[in-house]
Amino acid sequence: MNREENEMISRCQQGDQEALKEIFDKYHEKVYRIAYGVVRQREEALDVVQDVFIKLFRSIKNFKGRSHFYTYLYRMVMNTAIDHKRKAGKQFMSSLDEEGSFEPSEEAEKGPERVLLQKELEERVKLAMDKLPDEQRAALIYRDVEGLSYQEMAEAMGCSIGTVMSRLHYGRKRMQETLKDYVKVHGQGRGISTVSER
Amino acid sequence: MKNSCSTVSTVLEKYFDQEVTDEEKLLVEGHLQECPGCRDALKSMEEFRILIKAPVEEATQKEDFPWVWQKIERGIRQQEKLTWWQSFRSWLDVTPLFKKRVWIPAVATVVVLLFVTTQIILKKTPSYPEVSVVEYIESQSDNVMVYQLEEPKVTVIWLFEGPEEERTTT
Repeated sequence: MNREENEMISRCQQGDQEALKEIFDKYHEKVYRIAYGVVRQREEALDVVQDVFIKLFRSIKNFKGRSHFYTYLYRMVMNTAIDHKRKAGKQFMSSLDEEGSFEPSEEAEKGPERVLLQKELEERVKLAMDKLPDEQRAALIYRDVEGLSYQEMAEAMGCSIGTVMSRLHYGRKRMQETLKDYVKVHGQGRGISTVSER
Repeated sequence: MKNSCSTVSTVLEKYFDQEVTDEEKLLVEGHLQECPGCRDALKSMEEFRILIKAPVEEATQKEDFPWVWQKIERGIRQQEKLTWWQSFRSWLDVTPLFKKRVWIPAVATVVVLLFVTTQIILKKTPSYPEVSVVEYIESQSDNVMVYQLEEPKVTVIWLFEGPEEERTTT
């Protein structure tokens, strides 16, 4: 944590709203990315961002500086997003039948249907993410979306690096298993890229 | 093939996440040159990462964040208005008893008891009913005093026959 950020946090701890604005300017995109990664819905992700910064302003006094500020913030975002997701419950369920398998038709593989196909692929990915346990989903978002290192992830998740690696491994494995009917992995079929390149 | 796939697969994911040591990096890269299966596995991981990340990046680029900050400011102002209530709540939260929300039925019981007690006290009949009309008639032998009570409807005639004797008729 650099001196400038330390000062910003300290001012925010004293109730300076301008300091919160500075934190918002610095972190809002990261916060939104994590929130969106969990809820996968625009309005809900924005609500999470709003809640996180209001909550942060109230509770930043509890931040003692023992860990990096961003890992403290990321943990708050992840918990808030998971809470939102739980509260919203079935609102997040996809319009696609969860158990139904989606196989693109031959017509759909031709040009004009590509956008629709892409949307459906995104829906499938969202469903696969929804099926993951919270810890594995968090690990995938921290690493694959936000690009945190194993060490940073361990700090944000409050666990060891070994646990982080295990969560990542099983999360990825589950994603591949859930999407295997739609996305054939390399060496076994057409590959993901053929879906997006159609 | 210098190293078997099973040896490399243990560090392949670490390699993908750029968390390997220099030694592990050499091991994986040497193996990848010779093994199309592991190259495909690595490519597959990369493509899954794109699948997860791309919609998030796209959504982030479209967003209008100054508007979100205005909502946050409004939210903080609303919270400040609630401060007195929150301080009351935090005061209540001091004891574990209050934390468990036992105080809600407890307060309700006290209120009900107070209400019932007040009603009983207020309904109690006064020992001296209010006198609404008083009439006093004097004569040479007797004096008469007439009280008329509103509730209950009773007329009291008080007859004084002498300075030391008195008789009441209702």
